[in-house]
Amino acid sequence: MERRKFLSMTLGALALAVVPASVRAADFRKSKPDVWTTKNVMNGTKVTEEGVMSAIKALYGSNSLTMEGVKLKAPDVASNGGAIPVDFSTDKDIKSIAVFQNANPEAAVLVVDVNKYSINKYSIKIKMASSGTITIVAQGNDGKLYAAQKTLDVALGGCEG
Amino acid sequence: MAGIKAKAKLKNGVVKVKLLIKNPSMTYNMAEKKTGSRDNADFITHLSATLNGEIVADFSTSQFLSKNPIFKFEFKGIGAKKDKIELVAMNNHGKTYKGKAKIK
Repeated sequence: MERRKFLSMTLGALALAVVPASVRAADFRKSKPDVWTTKNVMNGTKVTEEGVMSAIKALYGSNSLTMEGVKLKAPDVASNGGAIPVDFSTDKDIKSIAVFQNANPEAAVLVVDVNKYSINKYSIKIKMASSGTITIVAQGNDGKLYAAQKTLDVALGGCEG
Repeated sequence: MAGIKAKAKLKNGVVKVKLLIKNPSMTYNMAEKKTGSRDNADFITHLSATLNGEIVADFSTSQFLSKNPIFKFEFKGIGAKKDKIELVAMNNHGKTYKGKAKIK
């Protein structure tokens, strides 16, 4: 590990240590700030996978995905982009699981820090500004990144308000 | 207690939790369009659930959750009926949202 990186990580850990016990949890916004600012890349009017891939890399250090082991359920056509139900689950032994999409200005939506009690089955609702692809990535304890993707049509974008 | 509404149910050893955070989930772009300032963005950045001092769920989130975001998650190996799950969420301005769910 580079010394500079190590130092900044140590400082980050110290900053985390001083927050009250009630919120002392794995805050990926603090520990991996780059993930949340990674912009999606547009190619003309077409959305690309580039932003999602760089966000995955910023979070997990790699973006070679194994497309198995993760279940993802989302509608084929979302009539309201403001609240799209996304259900995802995995039976794999994992450390964390994250949700990305390529329709909004930035790619990251959610990162779950898995604990020993977790059953890795989640449902959330997300916003998407246009049609695009949702990517779920689970970081396995075996070091592999398990993933699932689903492309959907959004009739009415959710980020215009 | 304003902030988080939650329900928790124990069945076959699995606790299922469903919760709603009252938050506009306004992105930077929406804030700029509506109010003219990106600083008015208001969204949840972190949510955690604790039960008997143990963290049972931990989410780091971004602006792209829906308005009044809903979460569902499950856990096992901890928790009995009448135990209380404490939920704490925080928005991008550092405001905390709190809620409790009694396991039924």
